[in-house]
Amino acid sequence: MREHKRAKMWTTHPYKWGQKYSLWPIHFCTGCGAIEIPPTMLAPYDASRFGMGPMASPRQANLLLLTGYLTRKTLKYVIRTYEQMLTPRYVISFGSCPIDGGLYYTSYNTINHLEWYLPVDVWIAGCMPRPEAFLMGVNRLMEEIENGTADGYKRYEENIDYYRRNQERTLGKKFLEELKQVEWLT
Amino acid sequence: MTIGLQIAWMISLPVVMILLVAVVFTGISLKVTARIDRRYGPPIYQPVIDLVKLVSLKTNVSHGVIFDWGLLVAIAGSSVALLMIPMGGIHPLSGSGDLLVILYLMIFASVGLGLSAGASENPNASMGVSRKLMLGLGYEVPFILILLAMMTYHHTTSLVALVAAQRATGVLGALRFPLSAVAAILIMPALQGVRPFDFVTAPQEVASGPMVELGGKYLALMVIEQSLHTAVILSLMVDLFFGGATNLGIFILKMTGLFLFGVLVNAVYPRFRVEQALRYCWRWPTWFALGGLIMAMVTKGG
Repeated sequence: MREHKRAKMWTTHPYKWGQKYSLWPIHFCTGCGAIEIPPTMLAPYDASRFGMGPMASPRQANLLLLTGYLTRKTLKYVIRTYEQMLTPRYVISFGSCPIDGGLYYTSYNTINHLEWYLPVDVWIAGCMPRPEAFLMGVNRLMEEIENGTADGYKRYEENIDYYRRNQERTLGKKFLEELKQVEWLT
Repeated sequence: MTIGLQIAWMISLPVVMILLVAVVFTGISLKVTARIDRRYGPPIYQPVIDLVKLVSLKTNVSHGVIFDWGLLVAIAGSSVALLMIPMGGIHPLSGSGDLLVILYLMIFASVGLGLSAGASENPNASMGVSRKLMLGLGYEVPFILILLAMMTYHHTTSLVALVAAQRATGVLGALRFPLSAVAAILIMPALQGVRPFDFVTAPQEVASGPMVELGGKYLALMVIEQSLHTAVILSLMVDLFFGGATNLGIFILKMTGLFLFGVLVNAVYPRFRVEQALRYCWRWPTWFALGGLIMAMVTKGG
């Protein structure tokens, strides 16, 4: 029945159909959540049922998986990776740390609120979320894509001044100048 | 064959082969690989969803004129190579000496990809292309020895004549040249670029190599190029060793069999390093191909 529903959407919204059932994630595995990704992708939970397959390069991917806490150093590369991805692009944030700092909320070097720097489409709370929770998050993202509410990339373009201001405050002016130098980035 | 029919086949044959390999074969291979891994796997029409997704992306990043045209050159090279190969009695472009032209055109496609990858200025792409050329260095030696054995035995460089000879005598190429056939089966994964020879596009090592800067429509073009390349390799092998076919349906069935062999090898084996692949290609397949060449020279009619 579900297979039938999946095939039927082709006739009504072909482009949404493509984006919904073909999420190619690129993992940014800096935190402890990285250990939950292999069982999700491989035989135990098999994320390829939902059309997901891991990608190696941000150009090919359309889903950014942030698995765990982000430091000032890694946030730079996350922003660069995100800006290299092609739109429509989606972000799933994994675990409590990107939400409010989690275990590391007093750390001088950890980012407490990811929402200030990047638009996130789906949050998955937990320390750590199990693969089931991750697949629930993916299903939630799929519903949002179908409804048209997964608009993180649009928010990023509309409120780019806000995001740039926050990025500058945390990462310094030098980072933004480096971003501008790389012309092929966006 | 009239001129009109010839032109119709010239246009439709690459399209048929792209649809066959990029959609049907890839879907089957995803499902078969998943079952070997004891997974449920994606739906069998997943390649269609992926292609629609790639075409529907709103932004496409180009890196200049050579980046765009390199891909098109590769696709053109593979398409022309495909038209040179007789497929179940259909051979729109082949004449005498077409085996040599196919050899040249297969390298032409790699050169196009190399141009495109070089223009993207990504170090991973350059590494991927250098690995691709090294792999070519490995498999070209046994491959040319195999073709030489057939050309020597039948006194021709025409693929149409080779297929006609198999049909006339009723003896398949795989039975007449057993050593060459063994060598060809051994280098098939290298020609197709699947595991254990997928270090060219290894995601974990070089971030998918020549494809690293390709996204959206460019990646869709790359999928088309790869499926054309796979179709060229499969149909060449069917013609050389399995006697071609009288119609396109049986030809496609034989191609499917060969493709499934590649899928099974791909699902089971781990990846070679570059020097391991070169050592492999220059050892057993080369010895078998050399034995096949000597056998063909000894047994050929005066």
